[in-house]
Amino acid sequence: MNSILVYLSVHDARIKRSSLEALSRAREVGKASGMAVEAAILHSAAAEMASVAHAHGASKVFCMANPIFDSHLNAPLIAGLSKVIKMSSPRAVVMASTEGVKDVLGALAIRTDAAVLPDVASFYVTSDEVTCERPVMAAKLLASTTSTHPLVFISVRSGSYEVSEGETVGTVEEVAFDFDEATLGATLREIVQTTGDTVDLSEANVVVAAGRGVRDESGKALVDELASITGAAIGASRAVVETGLFPATAQIGQTGKVVSPELYFAVGISGAIQHVAGMNNSRVIVAINKDADAPIFDVATYGLVGDCFKILPVLNAELRKIIS
Amino acid sequence: MKFCVCIKQVPDVQASVQTGRMVLNAYDASAVEEALVVNEGTDDVVDLVLIGPSSATETIRKALAMGASNATHIVVESLGGLDSHAIAHILADHFASHEYDAILTGKQSQDSDSGLAGSMLAELLGIPFATNAVGLKAEGEDLVVTRQGDSGQEIVALKTPCLVTCSNDMNNPRIPSLKGIMGAKRKQIPNKEAASVSALTDVSKSFSPPGREAGVKWEGEAEELVSQLVSKLQNEAGVL
Repeated sequence: MNSILVYLSVHDARIKRSSLEALSRAREVGKASGMAVEAAILHSAAAEMASVAHAHGASKVFCMANPIFDSHLNAPLIAGLSKVIKMSSPRAVVMASTEGVKDVLGALAIRTDAAVLPDVASFYVTSDEVTCERPVMAAKLLASTTSTHPLVFISVRSGSYEVSEGETVGTVEEVAFDFDEATLGATLREIVQTTGDTVDLSEANVVVAAGRGVRDESGKALVDELASITGAAIGASRAVVETGLFPATAQIGQTGKVVSPELYFAVGISGAIQHVAGMNNSRVIVAINKDADAPIFDVATYGLVGDCFKILPVLNAELRKIIS
Repeated sequence: MKFCVCIKQVPDVQASVQTGRMVLNAYDASAVEEALVVNEGTDDVVDLVLIGPSSATETIRKALAMGASNATHIVVESLGGLDSHAIAHILADHFASHEYDAILTGKQSQDSDSGLAGSMLAELLGIPFATNAVGLKAEGEDLVVTRQGDSGQEIVALKTPCLVTCSNDMNNPRIPSLKGIMGAKRKQIPNKEAASVSALTDVSKSFSPPGREAGVKWEGEAEELVSQLVSKLQNEAGVL
């Protein structure tokens, strides 16, 4: 009852940065509230990642190694996490708000009788209550939300907290997991990976995002070039995902991913509220748009009014000089 | 396939000034559209259920006008005190006496963006589910779902009965025809009382977040704009 459990999501056999952000925050909260912090890793290579969890503040790491967790199916993850939650018996369970977590959060809460504070921008845990602030109404408002339920789940938007290391000496507890596949009710047919995603969008330091102003393949080539020069991940507004110019995994906004890089280039993006909801925590925002009245300029640190087809070639040439 | 789509009436969050205009949640509209497309050319029903105030009837009629068969209105005059947990329990009570091959919901509602009620409902009913679907296909007894994951699309076959939460990226919901609108007007929408439930979370206040201040904005020739920008990125922002 007097601990915080952090579920760590894994991608490419590495703990996701957004999960380490959540763990770093849990460590600070645990220190202030006098609660131990534990972590859970459910992955075929879980044990190899335990030391990373220790370094960021987990005193005990529950490792559940089973290849079925790498399958992206929700039923095994819900069963596995339920078991770890029973063993750890925490006050709160903290996780990064990834698509994988969103897929299991509601069902897991029902199964373990937990309250949920989803997709929060900040949180605090005491033995009496869990409090958070979460964006609502397309991030136009923040809602202070509280739960006094004995077990509370918190999923944290990426970029809400910085990753930091603690000085924790930790232990590992290997947990066995047997899953009856007959109870699955679902089969994974195929995973269609988006090709060309060299940098994970939700964790990137630099993001180059394209909107309607990018128009066609030649505009996309300019965006790709800017991204390659700056080592950026490529994002997109809904408009250019719908036209098929950019993949759905690139979509940023209320419907897509939430990003908070150091540097965000909005190229030909008007700045509809649904898009801004997914990127307005970026530290520096550069907007390039022909329309001087586009709402993107209301959130941009630096606004360039002009045609991206004229500006990007010059910008790319200039940045190439500086960065190489 | 016999579908039921759970729909919600939400404030129009796209309006830059809050007008108080209420609309059908965009994700739910995609769910209704997809059910209609999957059932095209069959006699299978696409039913609806909505939890909300009496005034939400207009939203139900809009979804009926798209082509849905029948609707149930679970009347709750104020949704204020109900969180996802409470909503899921009310819906589970409804589905205890209504059987379907597949239940669809929007992946979240545009006002609260919680994205929980669908998967909570599936767990309460003990049926398999998939979230954030961008494609649906009926295949014998299975519903094949294409869902958007963190780094690609995952194609999952669910045994029916099952539940799927839908993204608005799966389709463009149809505009109701005049015939559809007239037909929807004549349909009876039975009202029902909500089961007694409790919320586990409580919103104490909502407020405008500290806004980002607009920075500088330059107009001019491309060369000039780029040189100003690069200088600022290097010397002021320190990101290059």
